[in-house]
Amino acid sequence: MSSIPAVRDRLERADSLPAVLDAAHDAFGSMLSAIRAQEDPATGLFIPLVMAAASAAEGRNALAFAPALPSRPLPAAPTRDEPTSAASVQVVTASLAALSELLAARLTDAARDASGHGDQAACRDAARSAWEIHALLTGNGP
Amino acid sequence: MTSRATFGDFIRAAHWHLDPATTIHGPPGFRGSAEEVSRSLLRVIIVMRRYVEDMTVALPRQRQRPHSALPAWPRAAVPARGALASAAGFLNTQGAVSRWPAVPAVSPLARRLDAAAESLITGHDLLQTHFGMDRDGGRQHRSEWALIITSPIVIRALLAEFATLSCTIARQGANIALVGPHGRQDSAEAWRALNAACQWLWVLNASIQAAHHREPLSVADGELLRSIPANVAPPRRLPDGSESVTATCEGTITTAERLRHLAWDAAERARWSSAMSVTSMYQVAAANTVTSHNSEVLLRALAARTTHPGLGQISAHLSAAADAARRTRAAWLGTAHALDDVNTDAEGRVSRVAAETRDLALWTGRLSYANPDWTLASGPAQIARTPESLAPDPEQVPPVIAAVHQVSATLTRLARVELEQIRAAAQAGRILVPTRSLPSEFDIPRPFARAPQAHVERLLSHYREAAYASRQITAAIEPAAEATRAPSRTLTAAAAALSHGHLGAHEKDKVPNGHAGAAPDLDADDRPGPVERTLRQLGVDHPDVLRRGAEIDQAGSRLIIDAANELAPGRRRQSAAVLSRSAGAAQVVNHALASGDLRAAALLRRPGRPEREPPEPEP
Repeated sequence: MSSIPAVRDRLERADSLPAVLDAAHDAFGSMLSAIRAQEDPATGLFIPLVMAAASAAEGRNALAFAPALPSRPLPAAPTRDEPTSAASVQVVTASLAALSELLAARLTDAARDASGHGDQAACRDAARSAWEIHALLTGNGP
Repeated sequence: MTSRATFGDFIRAAHWHLDPATTIHGPPGFRGSAEEVSRSLLRVIIVMRRYVEDMTVALPRQRQRPHSALPAWPRAAVPARGALASAAGFLNTQGAVSRWPAVPAVSPLARRLDAAAESLITGHDLLQTHFGMDRDGGRQHRSEWALIITSPIVIRALLAEFATLSCTIARQGANIALVGPHGRQDSAEAWRALNAACQWLWVLNASIQAAHHREPLSVADGELLRSIPANVAPPRRLPDGSESVTATCEGTITTAERLRHLAWDAAERARWSSAMSVTSMYQVAAANTVTSHNSEVLLRALAARTTHPGLGQISAHLSAAADAARRTRAAWLGTAHALDDVNTDAEGRVSRVAAETRDLALWTGRLSYANPDWTLASGPAQIARTPESLAPDPEQVPPVIAAVHQVSATLTRLARVELEQIRAAAQAGRILVPTRSLPSEFDIPRPFARAPQAHVERLLSHYREAAYASRQITAAIEPAAEATRAPSRTLTAAAAALSHGHLGAHEKDKVPNGHAGAAPDLDADDRPGPVERTLRQLGVDHPDVLRRGAEIDQAGSRLIIDAANELAPGRRRQSAAVLSRSAGAAQVVNHALASGDLRAAALLRRPGRPEREPPEPEP
């Protein structure tokens, strides 16, 4: 999986439906990996992170059903990759929240622009998952 | 503690209607018509027979054994069934009776009996909600309670209820049958038949008393029977932030019970349901991770609250339960991680169980944390309730223990159901992996492929671990629930009922942690016999004289019972109906039967004579 800044960069630069789907799929997977690394019951963010991980997996799985998703990951262009392993859980959470917001926006646009029903539904479901992650990580969730 | 109707509601109502102190049915002294009372008594007996028939269906292995080789309680069911048939036979002179009376009875005793029959019928219907029919016409379990209802522990508790009811009915029925002049000849016969039916109810009571003496019933057995709920899901509840701790406990318990109910239904549909999706599995695993986490917080607070010297080992048990909750959280989190690698053929649907596991996480969070508006998104500023705020008074500890006990039972159930669902779904080829995740040499022209067996096995092992760890919480809480008499201790009795498939001679000794409790007193008829009663009617109140009268009554009963049992099998003798033709003799026979000595049944039995069977009631 790519780092959070890297997938964010890919997502921002994606210029076609397959590229958005591919980048978003990678972004959900990367978020899931990042969350898994931070799931420490001793921190106060444990519960929102556990629930956000479920939403990240749901978003990734929803996109896996999109007909326009390339069957193989697209080659990644060089990105502004920054290591985040040493960051605190608060910093990681903030970057994940920002990424989920971007994901939700790109997927909402993709759902609107996609021509096929399957792609529209997949993008809509994945966008909803992204919004859930954002709500959970910013303290505005249900 | 449940919002659903329970069997206890109806069996209590039956006892209440028959209680002479209950006056809504009219003055107990008014006699009414013998036919009317007989019809009402027959209604009660018919429904009691239905229960006993169900019991014998529930004990198929016992039915194959010779009567003398049966354990005490299944052995008691046989004469109980026979006694009911004999009693019904005496009341069968007017043909079939309707399930409900067409018009309210005139006689207060008939009204009592009709009301009791109605309660028993409704209680029977309640128990039947846990069963259905499969496609082959076989009996099918429809809830987690079905196995408990058919367990020997619940069956003996039900027999004990019938013993008490029979004794109460026989006492009142015989009283009214033997009092005053009989009037017309046909009426006199009807009253005598009613008395004979009551005599058989005493036989039923005696057979159950005998079983109780050999294998005493426990208080917990009766509590378990009475706690059986109707098989309907409790209504969904969500907190609004205004709840007290007590109300939050109730909401938690209702949600836990509701989830177990929904989980049972979901397990039946795993092979084909579109709601059996990885999305649902993720939701369940994530929410249960949170619920386990909250349970640990709660249990640590409870352990701190129960450190008083007078509370014994409760705190230690709760600390052990908190440790188990920590392991459960890790197990559910591991389950969620294992799900990262799989998918299902059903796209994105979330089952009701999955949606509502979040409810349980929310309720346990509201109970664990000080913030009344706590949500799953609440961030780092989560302050746990202090032990004192969780249970300001010691009597508020049991409801919190009950809540977390119910939660642990639900976590166990959910892990087992998920395990079964995944196993069934895997067999049906419904567990998938994305082909994007497979090495590039796999050229599969579809987005998903069937999950390799290793993936499935890894997933199943995580669910097994979650079930095991959740069960450890329950095991650690059980002694604390028992010691504090938390309402959830029926869960322990239910688990004991499920784990003791057979009734052995010393079964009670095998029930762990003292769950058996003290043996309750069954209703032994200690009414005065004819001599003592005559003395009292004479106005004698000297204790020594009354005691001597009671001793004469007891000696008379013993003499009659011994003599009846020593008669040779082929010896001609009078039937009970003939014996009871005079009111004086009937009172002596009744007193012997009411003594609870099962051998007194010999007074009623005539060698070689089949017992009459009553007709079924009209639909």
